[in-house]
Order: sequence, then structure tokens, then C-alpha cells
Amino acid sequence: MNDNELLTAVREQRNKVPMTTPVEQVISRGRVLRARRRIPGLAGALAIAAAAVFAVTALLPSSHSTSHPPGIQLAAWTVVKHADGTVHVTIRELRDPAGLQRRLRADGVPASVIFGNTPNVQPNLCQSYGYGELLGKVVELPTLPGPQPPIAMTIHPSALPSGVGVQIIINQSKIGVHLVIASQGCTGA
Amino acid sequence: MGNQRLDFAEFYRECKDECLFAVLVSVSDRDAAQELVAEAFSRAWASWRTVSRHPAPRAWVVRTALNANISRWRRHRREVSVPDPGFVADLAVADWGADSSVDPQIMAALMRLPARQRQVVALRLFLDLDTDRTGDVLGIAPGTVQAHLGRAIAALREDLTPERQQESQS
Repeated sequence: MNDNELLTAVREQRNKVPMTTPVEQVISRGRVLRARRRIPGLAGALAIAAAAVFAVTALLPSSHSTSHPPGIQLAAWTVVKHADGTVHVTIRELRDPAGLQRRLRADGVPASVIFGNTPNVQPNLCQSYGYGELLGKVVELPTLPGPQPPIAMTIHPSALPSGVGVQIIINQSKIGVHLVIASQGCTGA
Repeated sequence: MGNQRLDFAEFYRECKDECLFAVLVSVSDRDAAQELVAEAFSRAWASWRTVSRHPAPRAWVVRTALNANISRWRRHRREVSVPDPGFVADLAVADWGADSSVDPQIMAALMRLPARQRQVVALRLFLDLDTDRTGDVLGIAPGTVQAHLGRAIAALREDLTPERQQESQS
């Protein structure tokens, strides 16, 4: 057997082991792969769209009437008061808790805001009002939040009983939202 | 999408057996080769706009299947041992004799080649790629491709010729 005969004999083997996977199965799997590949792109596009909508909302709060003049947007957080009285809060950085606290109070939410660990002050200036269904009616956290910003929440001041306020404590390990007894030392009123 | 499906289906029908055989010779496991080639063709379908314009789409499929095999081996390397070539050769004869017309002696001789030589043989002889393209696919120089092919042919000749001659004499 010379080399040509040898190579011919070897080459002849290539069509003798049939590939039995049907083309429909291959294409079906291909669709899954293609869809999976599109997810990051789609998520990116949605994120960009959401950011654009958010920026327009923040800069031109026309349809969402707020108690603040247009153009007020702090990089760390945003507070938007809607016509129905609900207050939407978005926290992107754990900065300026005193500013956020002032803004919430100005929008009718007796609030105490702490970014970081709770100060160990005795006596405790904020006394818990207790937990239960009421908290869920006062504060909505649309998604299960982790401790990492951005954190969004909606507060319904109309659901707060008289003499009750909201305390927001966010640090590296937790987000705490509590109902507290309103007082000068805690919620400012 | 309709034309895309038609083109791909035609490509698949024409090339699937050759691609399977090229991968089979490289990985030495029929079931694994079948899965790898199916996965590679699925990826080709998912990127068909690109793959259909590739200068050697069959080489793309085989390269993708071999890469998938490397990834799979990396994932399972603590569990999968490297097969002994002699064992693989015996397995090859036993495996492929029953339901295919493949020549078991040739398959066994192919399986006894070192892995790189088998890959070169698969691309050069079964996919008919030229030396440069084979080098591109395997990431080696054209001269290295020629050297591997030369050694592979010499080994196959040594392995197969006596048996062929004995057959013809008997």
C-alpha cells in the first residue's frame, strides 16, 4: 500500500460514523444559546432606558408634582413627593443622612435617618412603636433590598398614625426601617 | 430567519458526519464527540450570521467542539482520568464495529496516534483544510502541522501496511 492508498483508506472512514442528532434539536439548543446571549444586552438596554427615564424625571418633574423646584437632585439620594402624598425615596450613596432627614420631614414624614451604625446614645432618643402590618402599609420596599445601594422605597405618610414616625437605618450589613414614636429628639416633631 | 434556517440545515446535513469524525478522532469517545459536535453546531446556529461568512465554517465547528471539550475537561478534571491510548484503541474497535461500517483497524491505528497528530489528521485529512488553516485552528505553525502530519502518516503506514499486506496475501 502506497501513501495515496493509505490516505484514501483513512479518508474513507470520515462518513462512516453517522451524526444522529436531528437538526431540529441542534437549532432548538441554538435558540436557547442565542436567547441567553441576549439577556445581558437586554438588561443593559433596560438599565440605560431606566436611567434615562430617571434622569428626565428628576430634572423635569412635570407629571409627578413635587414640593420642590425642578432641578433638585442630589447625587446621593432623591426624594420625590407625588400628588397623592406618597413620597418616593431613592438612595444611591450613603451620604448626607441629615439632608435626607430634613427633606423627608419637609415632605411631611417625621423621619430619623442614620447611615452607618446606630449611635450608642443613652437614653435612646428613638423609641420603637412596634412592628406588624402597619409598617408594611407605611413603607413599601418594591424589591427585596440588599444593603448595597441603590435602595428605593415609597413612604405613605397618610398611613402614619398621629405621633408616629419612620426611622431608616442603613449600613454595610443591613437596611432597617422602623416605626418610632415621634419626638423632638428622634423625628424632629 | 427562514433562509437562515435553510442554509444552516443544509450546512449541517453536508458537514455533520465529517465534523463528528474529526472530533471523534480527537477526543476518542463517540458519545462525547456526538455531544460536543451537537453543541458546536448549536453555537454555530446561534452565531450563524458570523459563522456562515467564516472562511472555513467546518473548522469553526470542530474548533468550537474541541474548545468545549477542553472546558469540559477542566470542569471535571478531578473526576476524569486521562485514558490509556491502548485501552482507547481497544475500546474503539469494540465500540464502532457493531453499528457502523468503519474499519476497526484504521480506527485503532488512528487512536494510537498522539493527540496532536490526531487533531492534525482530523483537520487535514477529514476536513480537507490546508496547512495554514489547520495551523490557525490549532494555534500552531504551518511547519509544525506538516511535521505532525508526516509523523502521523508514517505511524499509520507502519501500523496498517503489514495487516493490509497480510490480507492481500491470504
